[in-house]
This record gives sequence, structure tokens and C-alpha cells, in this order.
Amino acid sequence: MQRYRTLLNVWLLSDIALFLGAYALAYFCRVGWILSTDFPFDTHMTVAAIIAPFWLIVLITTRTFSLTRNQSTLRNFAYIIYAAVMGTALFTLTYYFLYGAFFSRLLLVYAIAYTILFTIVWHILFEKLMRSALRKDPAVFRALIIGVTRESKRLIKTLNETKNPITPVAILDGRGSKDKDIDGVPVKGKLNKLEEVLQEDKITHLIQCSDLEQSLNLLGACRKQGITYILLPSVLGIVERDERVESLEGQPVTMVAPKEGWWTWFFR
Amino acid sequence: MRAFILAGGFATRLWPLTEKRAKPLLPLAGKPLVSHLVEQIPAEVPVTVSTNAALREGFEEWKATMNRPNLTIIVEDTKNDDHKVGALGATAQWIEQESIDDDILLLTGDNYCGFSIPDFLQSATAGVPLVAVHDLQDKQKASAFGTVIIEELRTQNSELRTSNVIGFEEKPKEPKTSLVSTGCSLLPKEALSTVKEYAKQHPDNVGGIFEEFLRRSIPVECYTFSEPWFDIGSFDAYLEASQALTGENVVLNEHVTFENNTCEGSVVIGKGSSVQNSELRNVIVFENCDIDDCILENCIIDNSCILKGIELNGKMLRADTQLTSKL
Repeated sequence: MQRYRTLLNVWLLSDIALFLGAYALAYFCRVGWILSTDFPFDTHMTVAAIIAPFWLIVLITTRTFSLTRNQSTLRNFAYIIYAAVMGTALFTLTYYFLYGAFFSRLLLVYAIAYTILFTIVWHILFEKLMRSALRKDPAVFRALIIGVTRESKRLIKTLNETKNPITPVAILDGRGSKDKDIDGVPVKGKLNKLEEVLQEDKITHLIQCSDLEQSLNLLGACRKQGITYILLPSVLGIVERDERVESLEGQPVTMVAPKEGWWTWFFR
Repeated sequence: MRAFILAGGFATRLWPLTEKRAKPLLPLAGKPLVSHLVEQIPAEVPVTVSTNAALREGFEEWKATMNRPNLTIIVEDTKNDDHKVGALGATAQWIEQESIDDDILLLTGDNYCGFSIPDFLQSATAGVPLVAVHDLQDKQKASAFGTVIIEELRTQNSELRTSNVIGFEEKPKEPKTSLVSTGCSLLPKEALSTVKEYAKQHPDNVGGIFEEFLRRSIPVECYTFSEPWFDIGSFDAYLEASQALTGENVVLNEHVTFENNTCEGSVVIGKGSSVQNSELRNVIVFENCDIDDCILENCIIDNSCILKGIELNGKMLRADTQLTSKL
């Protein structure tokens, strides 16, 4: 877990540096490769340094740094753009409140563009680095898969192929499976070995892919041992990848809505 | 005569109820399953229960509750499901170690047999292996079990319960008979050398020994019964057995608090449990549970669970589970 904390701190600090770099580059692109006396570089960078932590907080609240987030998705790009716009707005307001002056609008456009570009590229690169580091033996996030099913086989293959930081290390099957391993992950027996596997394999995540009748017991074991519990929607018969987790009067619910135009996603 | 009860299985299909207890120690209609068997064995017959090291403690505690001086617990040299000696292997090991030279009443600890064991023993022919067979009266249902083919079909009026066995079939697709073999048999002392020999090659195959007898031209008889019989191998079978034995009744054990509940079907509440303001239908609650404002249907709740404001259907809950609705 120390490895993960170190990497996460490096990631957060590097993002701050990257934000400052984007604003410095925007300054020089707009002002030219000089230090202007009309629009001092140090004043510009002081405001950028004040704003950087707030920009990072905005980015954190979008859960861009969460373990399960894939950095190369449209959704993630949208969050990065949103944080960049928020950062620039905060920068403009702060500059005005501190110095009572506005300045070049083109500089702000540059700042937004560079922040977005740098963040996206750096996040994709850092994600690759982080995934390799977290999977290095012994893997930091070690998953126990419950159930040998078609869906669980697919999941294990995907997690391994994409080098997801959540590394499958063991499989248990309630009914007993003839398979000895799935994609190199050993099938260690039935659910009576749960406690043994949780402890011996230092499990951090349990992914339930079948045996719905045991969900309460698996959840109970996870709660007791501080393990993250994940339920595959296929256990509930949802296999068309059209489900989403929503909130209904504050209660999380899994929702499968009728297929309609893409714009309905915003309103339903 | 000696009685030998096989109770060394890890019962993985009944996890989590069998996580810390052997299947024969599961409560059935208010007492452990194995107690139903032992109480039927004539008092003068010494009883040996064979279990494994992991389950020994539970059996020792159970033994202390049984008022039977000739009851012994022996432990197989097995630590987990991957290293078991096998049911027949354990029997042969015991015969060898104890130099048994007597008829053996061999019982499977996870079977409930509703017939009279003394009657079964009395029906035996000296020197002839005897196996108890249950008449399911439905050939299709029999396809899920090992079936027993007998020499001639008895007429409906016949009171004779024993017949000669001519063959066995393991889970046949098209059963020739509705008779299925159960976990109760009698091995005469003359057959013990065959048992020891066969167990070396097939330590897991208890049923196979009777086929081996036939192969060696040793006659085998069966005792047919239609009284209740349950092989407690799964959640459904366990619930079904409980319902069949308790009927539409509520069974309350000692020190139970049971107030303001609505019950339907079979409900068994274990020692020291408290159940209040709840709706229960076909439920088995083990010891020291605290249930309040719940709706439970077809559930088995293990020891020391705390449930408040929960609705559950078809669940086996692990010991010490705590579920409280936050809604």
C-alpha cells in the first residue's frame, strides 16, 4: 500500500507542476519569450501557484485519480476539461481581486488549452507507469474472484490484458470448478476456503461473479476484514453493458433504462 | 455388533453453515442430525464417530451432551478437504486399528433415516451384507441417486421388507427402479476382509463396496423403507428435512425470547435466540441470534447473527453476521 501512496503523491505533485508549467508556457506564448514589466511574470505565476491546489481539488472531486478510472476515456477527458475551465475561471477572478486588473483573453485560451493537453497526455502516461508499478509482484491490489463463469473469465482476461491495478490472484467457486486456472489465475477451491484465501493471499478486493445466494456472507467477510467488495452486474442477469449506477432519493441504485437517443442520458 | 458413523466430510456445499461445524452436527428439528441416528442405535451397541481434526472439538462437545458411555470419537488424519482419507478408507483404517471382528452398522452422519434401526438390524440374515434402500416411488426422481435393483418386485401387500440385490446403478439416466441406496448398511464380520482390500483401491467409494460384494458373488440384501429419508447435502435439502420433521409448527429451544411474530410453515428457533416483531416462513434460526422487525422466508440463520429491519428470502447467513437497515 506504501507503493500506491507514494505513486499517488508523485502524481498529485506532478500535476501541480504541470499546471504551473502550462500557465508559464501560456504566458510566454502570449507575451513572447521575454519577462514583461507591464505584465510581470512573477505576478502571473504567483496567482497560478495560488490557484493550482484549487484546480487540483476540482480534479480530485471528479474522481480522476480513483483506482478504477481509465484515463483514456471520453468521460475522463470531459472531467479534465471541466477542471481546466474551472482553474482558468478561478485564475481570472483571483488575479482581478488581487491586482484589480484584467488581461489578455488569448492568454486564458492558451492556459486552458495547455492545461487540458498536458493533463490528458500526462495522465495517460502516468497511468501506464502506475499500473506496471502496482502490478509488480507482489501486486498491491489483489483481487479474489468468486465464481468460474463466462463473465468472470472475460473479466480476468480484461484485467490482465489492460494491466489493471486490481490484479486477480485467486478464484473460488461455490460449486467447485474443474478448471485449475483461468488465464493463469489459480482456482483454489470452493467457498469453504474463503477465510484461508483472504488471509494467505492478502486480498484487498473481492469481485463476486456468481453465487448470488452467498452475497450477504461474502459482503460480511469483506466488511469484517476491510476488503473492497465488487459485484458484477451479470450476477443479477444484467449482461448487456447498458446498466449504470444512479441515485434515487439519495439511495444508490443500478439502473437499466430503455435504449433511446444519446441525449436522454443527460435527462433520465 | 459395532456402529460406525462417518462424519469426516467438510460439507463444502453447505458453506457457511459448515464453516466451523460438521454437517452431522447441524441442528435438525431441535437437535443435531447425528443425535437422531445415535438415539436409534440399541444402547448395548458401542458407537464410534469418525471425524477429522478440524471438526473434532464440535464432536467432543456434542458427545458431552449425549448420555451414552459407549460413544467414542475418533479422528482421521485429515486437515482439509484436499487431504481426506475417504469414507471407506476411514472405515477400513478403524477396522484395522481396532482389530474389529464383529458385524458393523455403518451409518453416514449426514443422513436422516426415519425407519427403525432396530427393525433394520433384526431383518438382517447372518453373514449377509444388508443395505437400507429408500423407495422414492418415482423412477425419475431416482435418477439423481444411486439406485438398487432387486431380484423380484414385492407385491403391495407384502410386509416383507428385505430382498436380494442383483445390481446397482449410479445416477442412471433411465432408472429401472425407484429404490435408492442410503447411508445405512450392515457389514457382517465375514465381509470385513473384502472391505479392507477394496478400501485400499477405492477409499472414497462406500457404495462401491456392495457392488464389489456382488462381483465376488457375495450375496447382498436390502431393507426397503418408505419412511422419511433425507441426505442433508444442500441448502434446499436441509430446509426440506426441517419442514418434513417439524411440520407447520414453531419449535422453540431453551431460553428463547419469541414475541409478537407471525409464523408460517416450519420455524425452528435455537437456544438463547431472541425473535421479535417479525414475519417468519420456513426459517431455521441457530443459537444466540437477535432478530427484530424482519421478514424472513426460507432462510437459515447461523449462530449469533443480529438482524434488524431486514427482509431476506432464500439465504444462508454466516455466523456473527450483523445486518441493520439504515432506511
